[in-house]
Amino acid sequence: MFLINDLIALLAANLILSRALGTSTIFIAAGSRKNLMATACVITFFTTAGATAAYFIDKMLPSAVSDLRLLMYIIVIGALYVLLLTAVYYTARRHFDELRKYVHVSAFNCAVIGTLFTINERASMNGSTYDLGDYAGAGLEAGAGFIISALILTAAYRKLNSSKVPAAFRGFPAMLVYLGIISMAVYSLK
Amino acid sequence: MLKKARKERHIWLDIMLTLLTLELMSYFYYGIRSVVLAAVCIAAASAAEIISIRLMKRKFSADDLTCTSDALIIALMFPAVMDYKIAAIACVFAIVVAKNVFGGRINMIFSPAAAAYVFVLTSWGRKLLQYTEPHVKTGIFEKPEVLVNSASHTFDLTGTFKHLDFEILLGNFSGPSGAVSILLLAVAAVVLMFRRSISAGAFLGTIFGTGFFAVVTPAVSSKADSLKYSLVTNMVLFAAVYIVSDVRIAPKRDYYAFFYGLFIGIFSYVLVLTGAKENAIVIVSVLFTPAALGFKNLEKRIEKVAEEHNEETMISEGTGREGEVTGD
Amino acid sequence: MTERRKALMDGILGDNIVLSGLMVISPVIVCGDTLKNAAALVYAFSAITFLAVLISSFVPQKLPYTVKVIIYALIAAIVYIPVKFASKQLYPESIPRIGIYFPLLAVNSLIVFQTETKFFRMPRRDMMISLIFCILGFDLVMLVTGFLRELFAYGTINNHIVDMNTLTDGLSKPFGGFIFLGLMCGAYRFIRNAVQNDKSEVRSGTDVSYK
Repeated sequence: MFLINDLIALLAANLILSRALGTSTIFIAAGSRKNLMATACVITFFTTAGATAAYFIDKMLPSAVSDLRLLMYIIVIGALYVLLLTAVYYTARRHFDELRKYVHVSAFNCAVIGTLFTINERASMNGSTYDLGDYAGAGLEAGAGFIISALILTAAYRKLNSSKVPAAFRGFPAMLVYLGIISMAVYSLK
Repeated sequence: MLKKARKERHIWLDIMLTLLTLELMSYFYYGIRSVVLAAVCIAAASAAEIISIRLMKRKFSADDLTCTSDALIIALMFPAVMDYKIAAIACVFAIVVAKNVFGGRINMIFSPAAAAYVFVLTSWGRKLLQYTEPHVKTGIFEKPEVLVNSASHTFDLTGTFKHLDFEILLGNFSGPSGAVSILLLAVAAVVLMFRRSISAGAFLGTIFGTGFFAVVTPAVSSKADSLKYSLVTNMVLFAAVYIVSDVRIAPKRDYYAFFYGLFIGIFSYVLVLTGAKENAIVIVSVLFTPAALGFKNLEKRIEKVAEEHNEETMISEGTGREGEVTGD
Repeated sequence: MTERRKALMDGILGDNIVLSGLMVISPVIVCGDTLKNAAALVYAFSAITFLAVLISSFVPQKLPYTVKVIIYALIAAIVYIPVKFASKQLYPESIPRIGIYFPLLAVNSLIVFQTETKFFRMPRRDMMISLIFCILGFDLVMLVTGFLRELFAYGTINNHIVDMNTLTDGLSKPFGGFIFLGLMCGAYRFIRNAVQNDKSEVRSGTDVSYK
């Protein structure tokens, strides 16, 4: 019972379905099912590691210069971007060409930066009770949400790209409406 | 292909007959208003279907009449005094957005009626969940004087259901105009299942899932009452027949359809129990669309593997025989 | 009109970044529910994107792709600071409503990906024209979305009440944005195909697979 409630809560907090964060990215990745899942996994890495780093930025950055937060987040994500590419290069050199496109597409996008800002928003509402674990947990949760959305889209992938769909709606427009109806159901659960 | 089309039309006829029976019952309780509401829904859905099919450069055929059954399902899920304009918008949404954008009846993803219901719930929730009492007959253009919450709403919040079993069977309690006639719904479910017009697996799965959880984690002190009320409230029976078990949406094989229905039943029961979410089953059925699609993909994959295996077996048998001949 | 000129101006109708490329759609979906929000986003997007791409065009092209992308994002994050400051003066009401979507404009696909795949492959003058039309394409979609969603969801136009007796509240919500944009995208392709007799699919302008 609690598991079902947690799953519903995870769906309701899903950043794509509830806040449309990372929609463009999920559509870019929607070129194939393999791309979709691989991108979702790399984004989970960025949101989790980025959220952990964002904890320190949020702690150190005075509120008077809060407009610098974006710059700080970009520096952190940039560093993670280079680190991940280097790690992939040294650990899976044979597949580097294939894997790096997922890293490129997953670093700077609304899904990752939006997650960091959402966590910051949540932390500022909760005050000092929001610690490092909460930041990392929220980052992981956002990544998991992205994976769930990718799975939702993957399930309908064939039907949404079928020749039976009118040419004007085939592909992305049908995907938008599909996600919209799922998002509507999630919204009505709140 | 011809056989498939004939089957589709038979299914539509079966569904329509049972829906019209429910509409008749609704007329008995709520008067001419419920009939006009159904007519508005059917007219709006038909117009939307014809226009969108023209835009899709297809010909309108008898098979496209399925839009009328979807419209009737929508009308029966609404209160009899629902604003006509909202009902018409809901039907247009069901046909255009939830159905024809994805290719129409040949490429269904969502149950159009369920998607339209959720759409109305999110935009006009208050109007959707306020009903007149049974036997209160409102004129065609009259505004209802007294609106009440549904019996399901009271049950979800307080755990009390002040109606006799006989009233429950006949649908003599406040709620959606066509979704409360339990006896008729039970008969419709059995008939439709035997005629294979609904997915038996999905229907039984939904009933089993809801019933099992109603007994294991009862909503009221008595397990028998919990089982009874969980099945008759919140449109569970109606949705189990006309939405979850829709053969266009549910997985084809009964085995998979059972699990699809089971999960919907369990999730919606938990939502009602923990969040008092009225008619949660309709929302959950929309949310579980990807699961239905996933099951269908799995079915296709299994069929493909089985076909490949059969081909391989035939080839190897053929080679064996050739060998035998050569050996001779 | 010459082919070259047509290609440069395609950003508004022929190859709209939102309706055709599905880029920068999050702010349109979530914040494009009123004309005021739309105007604030139009200003922010136009200023950040134009300045960031313009400044980024001076970054040496010999640098590795990853380094260039990081530099573009950093430039956009720096441009964001004065733009945000000016927005607070120009659109004080809309800024809190736009919330986190304001900084997200700085990592939009036009700055991070399109620079490399499209703009920086053109001569600077052509790049400027193409960029301006791409920005105008976004602005147009944003304003039309804001106008229609505000009208049908709230029954107002730029906060002035209009006589509408059935309001579709759901249209103001993110799911309403998804569905509305999906329908608009389909209608756009339908019209474009009818006009150009073009059966091509929606492209994804942020494809980096060649890298």
